[in-house]
Amino acid sequence: METLLETRDLSKLYSIGERKVKVLQSVSLIVGEGEFVVISGSSGSGKTTLLSLLSGLDRPSSGRIILDGQDITDLTEDQLAPVRNQLTGFVFQAFHLIPSLNSLENIMFPAELLGDRLAKEKAEQLLKKVGLSQRSNSFPEQLSGGEKQRVAICRALVNEPKIIFADEPTGNLDSENSEGIIELLRSIHQDQNATIVMATHNKAIAEKADRIFHLHDGRLTVER
Amino acid sequence: MTAGLQWKGERVINGKFLLRELLYSKKQAVIYILCVALSLVSLVAVNSFRSDIDRSISGDARALHGGDIILHSHYELSPGLQRAVVSLTEENRATAVRAWEFYSVARKSDESGSLLCNIKVVENGYPLYGRVDLASGREFSDVVDAGKIVVGQGVLDRLDMAVGDQLLIGSALFEIVDVILYESAKPVRFFNIGPPVLVSYKDLPVMDLVRQGSRVEYETLLKMDDANSVDSVAAWLRGRSLDGQERVETFRDAGSGIKRFFDNLLFFLSLISVCTLLLAGIGIESSLSAILRLKEKNFAIIRSFGATRAYLLHHYLLFVLILSAVGCALGVVSGLLVKGYLSVLFSGFLPQDIVFRSSVADLLEGVVVGLMVVLFFTFLPLWRINNIKPVVIFRRESSREEKTTTYYLCIVFGFSALCALLIRYLGEVSTGFYFLGGILLLLLIVNLMTRLALFSLSKIQWRRPGSRLALRSLLRPGNVTQSIVVTLSIPIALLLIIYLVENNLRGTYIDSFPADAPTLFCLDIQKNQQKAFRELAGGKITLHPVIRARLISINGKAVNRGREMKKRRDNLAREFNLTYREALLEDEILVAGKTLFRKDEKGEPVLQVSLLDTVAEMGNMTIGDILQFNIQGVKMEVEVTSIRSRTRSMLYPFFYFIFPEKYLKGAPQTYFAALHVESEEIPFLENRIVQSFPNISTVNIAETAKEMGRMMQKLSKIVNFFAAFSILAGGLIIVSSILATRFERIKETVYYKILGADSRFVLRIFFLENLLLGLLSSVFSIAVAQAAAWSLCHFFLGISYAPGWGACLWLIGLTIIFVVTLGLLGSIPIIRKKPGQFLRQLN
Ligand SMILES: Nc1ncnc2c1ncn2[C@@H]1O[C@H](COP(=O)(O)OP(=O)(O)O)[C@@H](O)[C@H]1O
Ligand SMILES: [Mg+2]
Repeated sequence: METLLETRDLSKLYSIGERKVKVLQSVSLIVGEGEFVVISGSSGSGKTTLLSLLSGLDRPSSGRIILDGQDITDLTEDQLAPVRNQLTGFVFQAFHLIPSLNSLENIMFPAELLGDRLAKEKAEQLLKKVGLSQRSNSFPEQLSGGEKQRVAICRALVNEPKIIFADEPTGNLDSENSEGIIELLRSIHQDQNATIVMATHNKAIAEKADRIFHLHDGRLTVER
Repeated sequence: MTAGLQWKGERVINGKFLLRELLYSKKQAVIYILCVALSLVSLVAVNSFRSDIDRSISGDARALHGGDIILHSHYELSPGLQRAVVSLTEENRATAVRAWEFYSVARKSDESGSLLCNIKVVENGYPLYGRVDLASGREFSDVVDAGKIVVGQGVLDRLDMAVGDQLLIGSALFEIVDVILYESAKPVRFFNIGPPVLVSYKDLPVMDLVRQGSRVEYETLLKMDDANSVDSVAAWLRGRSLDGQERVETFRDAGSGIKRFFDNLLFFLSLISVCTLLLAGIGIESSLSAILRLKEKNFAIIRSFGATRAYLLHHYLLFVLILSAVGCALGVVSGLLVKGYLSVLFSGFLPQDIVFRSSVADLLEGVVVGLMVVLFFTFLPLWRINNIKPVVIFRRESSREEKTTTYYLCIVFGFSALCALLIRYLGEVSTGFYFLGGILLLLLIVNLMTRLALFSLSKIQWRRPGSRLALRSLLRPGNVTQSIVVTLSIPIALLLIIYLVENNLRGTYIDSFPADAPTLFCLDIQKNQQKAFRELAGGKITLHPVIRARLISINGKAVNRGREMKKRRDNLAREFNLTYREALLEDEILVAGKTLFRKDEKGEPVLQVSLLDTVAEMGNMTIGDILQFNIQGVKMEVEVTSIRSRTRSMLYPFFYFIFPEKYLKGAPQTYFAALHVESEEIPFLENRIVQSFPNISTVNIAETAKEMGRMMQKLSKIVNFFAAFSILAGGLIIVSSILATRFERIKETVYYKILGADSRFVLRIFFLENLLLGLLSSVFSIAVAQAAAWSLCHFFLGISYAPGWGACLWLIGLTIIFVVTLGLLGSIPIIRKKPGQFLRQLN
């Protein structure tokens, strides 16, 4: 199995006034292609922080991140743009759909950025796959939490990224919707052999992963 | 409420809470303060400037008019009135001084130069009130005597002369003995044309300029011994005067051209200030709304803890009050500073003895009007807080406030009060009413156009995601697209209107001064001088007979002198120049009637007149109307049989009233000639004419046009200065809108970035969004300005119109640069940041 994502001695400091808080301390991890990895840990343990470093949304205080053979640690925002657009997909706890675009347009957007002529067809297919074809003209404010998250997942998938980061994708959903979303992620993993890195504090959900890491006191340990 | 519960927090104002709220929204608070200040600046400046002018011009109306009672005529006083004046002076009830004022050409004694001067011949005792300051510091009455005159500095400068030199006026030779520094009767001289010359009455016969039919203002100034008798004596004199020919006025009701000029200009500036005030009001509303929208959730949370509506309202009223007080103070102080600058801006237009001082009353008036506006425009946002329900916490989108009947009643009432106040402030009910109505209509139209444009843009299928997002961004709730477009369009339109009108005026009268247009007008040519004048001036010259007369009534209805004199444009009460001829001029066409005059079939003479369309409009006169004229004491009734229009520029001579030759041939008359002379030859010809005919006045039209141009330029500078304040209001609203939507913008930028958009893409969206804003604003303002400027030129000024598209293109460019720069400056900092940290705030 080939390595897709690798970190070396990653650490992240936050300074609150004079005081410095070490949220992550020399985290090293390797994720292979096609793996479904879960990062577990209690609330405030640093899961979101780690995921945003891994995906290049934030910059580490020290250490390096290598994604698909490319060191992304020091890339500028503009150099990161194609990485975010094509290599990675991100699913958030709070959905973060663009409020001024409807479901279909939200999903199309990354493909349009890429200049994909088939953006619309792809988005329609994805919507159909998650059972939301009839909501394609709805705006985010008109959708329920579960529907929003399904649209968000479609959006993360539209450019067929190699790796999908999901930060507590079920954190804002009830248990029924949560299960649906996890099932969706699993099927994507299985059908398309996509690599998934998911953060969660939910033990039951974590169980479904190939491998589980645990974050505690800023340190990452392998649980399974 | 349960009996045992303590309830303390409500009654007192929580200072900490207030301070925290102030600091939390400090940027918007600054915008709000600036808007309040802006609403007051020009109002305070103009208001206080206006009272300074009023004080210095009409503050001492006796000095300005030169007497308690002023008798005016274009002829020697009628015997009856003359006797009345004599009896007053003989009974020692009044002192009287006569003055004769006219324009005439003065020549150097060696005939090497000549100059049109404003000549005033005065009797001993002049001036009864006010003063004439001379350079030497001597008393005026000690200096001017037979053969000795005092002149304005302009005479010396233009003729290159000095005190002690000799000057020819008419057929008399004078010695210049002093220079006039200041005359109370003429506190301002707008034109460089016609500098003053004061002459003793002893020289009146020697000059030989006051002849039958020449243009002389005969004035008799009276100073009453008993100040209380002014009105009764004036009424008594009025009873003895010739109606329609002689005017009896007191210093209180006499009109003054200078006062009228300033009244008009300052009234116009007041209109612009009111416009700024209303636009700043929109800024007040939108910035306060932005502050409050930011806090909507806070309010809901606080209310869910049990704070009452009153608690919030009280705190926020105080919050708004503090900010408004700061804004007012700032507005008043800057208003006074601006006023200080006005004396620079108006230089050359101001009375020399004007005293700038700021009375509390003037300030107060400005502040009261400003505060009413602030009150009105803060009402809407504050209403919103009052109606916030705790349930808002659970909603993501901002709540829609409930609008009850009370709300609408408040708006209607507040708005009517505001209009009433503004109209009172403007002091002219009908103009104020039309103006406010016009502004409202304009606001409405631009608003509708904006809505329509945005609606149609949103219906287009935008292929590129950038354009789609830019448009959606404009349509987002809380983005005050409409306010921005409206507040930008109106002042820009205003500036453009001023520019276009000025440009068209300039184009008509100055730049494209027609090659064959007359450059020299000669007036007061006497009947017996016709032949000699023709020989001297050379070429084919038309001499137009001029008979002076007044219009008394139209269809038996007397011309309302009081109302006519108040008109801002030409009026029917003034003295007109009638002429007679049997054919149309080259540039005249008939617009009503088959021929210039109707031929009578029975051979009976029909008394008839042909009107120029402009004068027909002034009095709503049409064919068949019967007009009664007073032609130097003789009454004549005539029927209107044709109406003419002119095809050439105003620079060619024209006559309002044309009679058939036979009726006026015998009336006392002078002749008028319009000559076309190359401009470098004008002075020589002028010289020759006045040498041979000292009584003929010449007016250098080419130079007058240039002088008008200079004056127009100056006026438009003043007006532009005030209009710029309105643009500032537009700018503030843009900044306020950027601040208000900042959070949304951050959010969207972050979203675009995590999905893989680079900075170019984000910049392009912001750019497109602001480009659209700028484009809409400038296109609407151009549409409004073209329509308004065309109407002004076509209906009001009666000149041809050139739309000046080049300037409009410039305007579009400048507006877009202005809007895009402001917009991008506000947005760029967001692009640079890493998205990770923002995402945390968005949860
Ligand atoms: N900008 C910041 N400044 C200071 N502390 C921060 C900042 N962002 C996150 N933290 C802290 O970092 C820790 C980890 O947060 P986070 O990664 O969100 O944890 P998790 O996602 O596991 O709940 C928390 O204790 C949080 O308070
Ligand atoms: Mg988290």
